[in-house]
Amino acid sequence: MTMHVPTTPEFKANAHAALGNANLQAALRGSRGNFVAKRAKARAALPEFDDLRDRARDLKNAVLADLDLYLEAYERQVTASGGHVHWAETAEDAQRIVLEICRAAGAATVNKGKTMIGEECAINDALAAAGITPVETDLGEYIVQLRGEIPSHIIAPAVHVTVPEVEAEFRKAHTHLPPERDLSDLAELLREARGVLRAKYFEAEVGITGANMLIAETGHSVIVTNEGNGDLSQSLPRVHIVMASLEKIVPTLEDAATILRVLARSATGQEMSVYTTFSRGPRRAGDPDGPEEYHVVLLDNGRSGMLGSDFQDMLRCIRCGACMNHCPVYQAVGGHAYGWVYPGPMGAVLTPALIGVEAGGQLPNASTFCGRCEAVCPMRIPLPAMMRSWREREFAKHLTPGAVRYGLGIWAYVASRPALYRIATKVAVAALRLLGRGTIRALPFGGGWTGERDFPSPQGGTFMAQWKARR
Amino acid sequence: MSARERILGRLRAVVSGARIDGREARVAERIARAPKAAVPHQAASAGTARMTLFMTKVEAAAGTVGRVSAMAELPKALAHELRRRNLPAVARVGAEPAFAGLDWGSIELSRGVGRIEEPVTLSRAEFGLAETGTLALASGPDNPVTLTFLGETHFVVLREADLCGGFEDFWAAWRARGLDPRTINLVTGPSRSADIGQVLQLGAHGPVALHVFIVADPGDIVVPPT
Repeated sequence: MTMHVPTTPEFKANAHAALGNANLQAALRGSRGNFVAKRAKARAALPEFDDLRDRARDLKNAVLADLDLYLEAYERQVTASGGHVHWAETAEDAQRIVLEICRAAGAATVNKGKTMIGEECAINDALAAAGITPVETDLGEYIVQLRGEIPSHIIAPAVHVTVPEVEAEFRKAHTHLPPERDLSDLAELLREARGVLRAKYFEAEVGITGANMLIAETGHSVIVTNEGNGDLSQSLPRVHIVMASLEKIVPTLEDAATILRVLARSATGQEMSVYTTFSRGPRRAGDPDGPEEYHVVLLDNGRSGMLGSDFQDMLRCIRCGACMNHCPVYQAVGGHAYGWVYPGPMGAVLTPALIGVEAGGQLPNASTFCGRCEAVCPMRIPLPAMMRSWREREFAKHLTPGAVRYGLGIWAYVASRPALYRIATKVAVAALRLLGRGTIRALPFGGGWTGERDFPSPQGGTFMAQWKARR
Repeated sequence: MSARERILGRLRAVVSGARIDGREARVAERIARAPKAAVPHQAASAGTARMTLFMTKVEAAAGTVGRVSAMAELPKALAHELRRRNLPAVARVGAEPAFAGLDWGSIELSRGVGRIEEPVTLSRAEFGLAETGTLALASGPDNPVTLTFLGETHFVVLREADLCGGFEDFWAAWRARGLDPRTINLVTGPSRSADIGQVLQLGAHGPVALHVFIVADPGDIVVPPT
């Protein structure tokens, strides 16, 4: 198994490669717009949707104001139900805790429901290095694991993979099946994966899932899925480990309902996902199934540092993926270009906070600031404003490339001197007019723009000139 | 100092302006009060409209639903569904008391947890939510959780009286019933995935089909005069 090192600092090169990758572009074309249309339909069917977004934002803000106390209340409930809470300051701590539990359970195989915190902690790599086989059971995660990749979307991990690529991967991996079998339709592919993974559920000693929410009132962890794999992964093995981050807390069951009402609608356009499971502690006396041990690994990994900062609002995120589904940049380059676990607008804000602005500082630059991410965010997170904050920090830390700093410096000098600015824009308008009428096909120093598309030539003088004429 | 204390310490340092006493009371009160959010109109249905909404929503989620006049009629209704779907006359169940004492006729009932091949499973849901066509099942010996996920076709019985409008009356009813199962499983339709080619297909890992039997309350049955 390969170790996945973040390639976030190479975002520009990644994005360039992604744009030239015909297979990836075909996959992105195939999915583009699907999520957008489904969310729009679900939103239109629920008149209270925007009210619920306000409530969801407010309840999460209340939790963040007293996060320490809510976490303690949650921990008390988990302990009272016979479960164990483990606190992890870093991804390495989380790896160590999970490995200790797995070793104590004598695990050779670990089943994984979908967990982004698991991805953040590179838990598969850690398990494999310790001689324990991790098996991804979410169909998309399974495909991605077979390909030796990481997910490219937080709710559709294999959105970048085409159907022929899935077939090729299954033929390579499922060598126990007859090579001449027919895999020409989607139903056959699904049946095969179902059969292979069904057997695996019964082999694992430990099941790891994520958590969409942790409920302070009751000590429940909540997972929201469509496939049922997260439930088989937690119900069949002897040990269930939940990997969750600090900010997943909601106060009560009612608050969980508020989040659920906006989550699936924002993610897939469903009113409810198929399976929403509230788990609390190990199996009860007399229970014939369910795990005998229940562990929750609570991960910080930089989040406590976001509290009280310009990026606190990001801790409201419920990982629905609406921002990336509506992002023109994500839709053009896909998730892998972002180089790490969290892609799209939410990734552009979260990644620098978790791995540092030095490594992740390029991501907030990959935005047109069109604002669609904020417009669709169920938790009303001001994503563009936070991306701007990261740009300021990047600039302040002198991480911005020389050409950009130099250009911004010139622009600032000119823009803060109105007379000079007017002369400069007049000259620029005249010069651009010389280059073409209507459209400009080639722009000196602007090949990055005109290489792919024409540049419109200015119409009717500068804004200031037009303003003067109309007064 | 433990990781726990260091993490909590960092969180406290951010909110240190506030007095701890006041904050503790605020959190305890917030949890105890459990305020309701803006209740969607579709969660506030009642009577026949509620039943119609529930059935519509189950079907919208690719499930199917039928009504049964009394629990005693359940075996007949199940046998009919099994025949209609070309399924074997078998069913896997837990120790659900509501199923005890029923005459299952030609259906071969087996009791226990879900096994690797499970063509037909039968459970009883504690509650239903009309808002979204959702079933709420409680894990335990009566209805083992694995039956919900390993059955190729999962049949679920819901008593008509257990049908709630939405999350608000559901959570209130849930608390009132005093249950503490390891899992509360909210199920809305059969399992599905769009991970292959972004095309939605039913039957990913869990059931390929989900059918709900809504069983009328004994008091509702009008015995026709002989």
